[in-house]
Amino acid sequence: MTGAFTQPLSLILIMAVIAATAQEPVKPKLTPTIVTATRQAALFSGLEKQMLQAVQKKDKAGLEALLADDFEIAMPNADPLAGEDWEDAVLAGDFNLKSFVVRQLSVADMGDAAVVKFDRIQQATFKGRNESGEFFVVDLWKKSGDSWKLANRYVSKVSTIPETGKTAVKPTGKD
Amino acid sequence: MKIPLSKTLFVFLFLILAVNFLAAQKPLTPVQDPDRPTHLRPDGAGGTIEEAGPTGQAVVTGNGINYNGGPVLKGSPVPIYVIWYGNWNGTGSNTMATVSTVETWLKTVGGTPYELINSTYGDNTGNVSGNLTLGGAIFDTGSQGTRLTNTRLSNIVNRSFSNGLPKDTNGVYVVITASNVSEQGFCTQFCGFHTAQTLGGTDIKWAFVGNTDRCQSACSIQATGPNSPATGVGGADGTINVLTHETEEAITDPDLNAWFDSSGNEDADKCNFNFGATTTCTTSNGCTSAGASAGAKFNQTFGGRNYMMQQEWENRNGGACVQHL
Repeated sequence: MTGAFTQPLSLILIMAVIAATAQEPVKPKLTPTIVTATRQAALFSGLEKQMLQAVQKKDKAGLEALLADDFEIAMPNADPLAGEDWEDAVLAGDFNLKSFVVRQLSVADMGDAAVVKFDRIQQATFKGRNESGEFFVVDLWKKSGDSWKLANRYVSKVSTIPETGKTAVKPTGKD
Repeated sequence: MKIPLSKTLFVFLFLILAVNFLAAQKPLTPVQDPDRPTHLRPDGAGGTIEEAGPTGQAVVTGNGINYNGGPVLKGSPVPIYVIWYGNWNGTGSNTMATVSTVETWLKTVGGTPYELINSTYGDNTGNVSGNLTLGGAIFDTGSQGTRLTNTRLSNIVNRSFSNGLPKDTNGVYVVITASNVSEQGFCTQFCGFHTAQTLGGTDIKWAFVGNTDRCQSACSIQATGPNSPATGVGGADGTINVLTHETEEAITDPDLNAWFDSSGNEDADKCNFNFGATTTCTTSNGCTSAGASAGAKFNQTFGGRNYMMQQEWENRNGGACVQHL
């Protein structure tokens, strides 16, 4: 009699455990936050977007106004690129920055210098090749009188975005 | 043929458990793409346009900020629940004097011409009242430690429901941290933030505001404010400025799907650290002696006190940052 109930009882207990597991409250998922940017975050967010807009518009004077004389850019698995060479590349007719989004920008204020890091999502092409993607950027800005100049940039590609022909979704601020 | 009782019982119990299991798979909360407001759609040219959402007397658009279909908080007043987190019996601005100044602000700002700017926002059932008040306050000296994350902040809010605060979907909960507490991103990325989260089955709107004296250059417009007890101790005034930013936005965009522009800026974001015309503190215009001695600025006076508060975006007359309705 006991043996006749053992197998079905075991199966019932297993099912009960599975069902009980499914009943545990799902941990509440934190929804996105809407932040109040620090004064520096607001300032440098503006400068970074100003620079990207200068690249978009091929505005050489506008770009140079934001770069230190000894500006240099470093990327993984590549030699550092001098500012002049980088400028020539991004202002060239065969580089097209269609759109960009700057996210998660934070600033470490050092007084006369500031380390700014952010995610940049861009839609771009270079010589017809897709250069769209997400990039992690770390910029070192230095105070120059009343303004700021970009002295160093470290950039690494996080992921590639397929070229869709459409511009990136406008930022919603919901980071 | 007669089926054995044991097999019948087994099948019956199996069916019960199977139904129970499948029912438990239903998500507890609806999932919404946080990057796509419900009433924006692509325009085919790489941008977005606002779809015609619900209209009514309370939804007025075309003033530089968009309505995305979600609710606003329409309570009169909207209760603001404060959780004072960390050591508020410390030094500098980490004292009960700051607690008193901030709570006095919360009790007196409701219905002022400043707060009434918010009444230019609404949803399809009515307008924001422009009235808020302190709904209640508790102290949490450090239940989640002194190095906070968003998850730990969420725990602090959740814990407050069993420590004196009601669970109120129509209110806003604000965790205000003392200077001995750090939070990821505070001072480097932001001075505060607000969000909405389902806690215990209830849609709870909550915010974080840190004592701005922890990073004055990042989160304060001046080191000494009109209510400072001593020179350089501007935390109460700086914190009030961030607090007004977060409460304004938690009221007009509580579930992150109501009022914001095409760049994602909510009403207070559009005027962040924008104060407009100011008055300088003297020994005879209601500032503290420290505020007067430092030449602190203020731009609002109500409830017998002076405050330095950012302007807010007025949703009328084309839109602009203003100091009062």
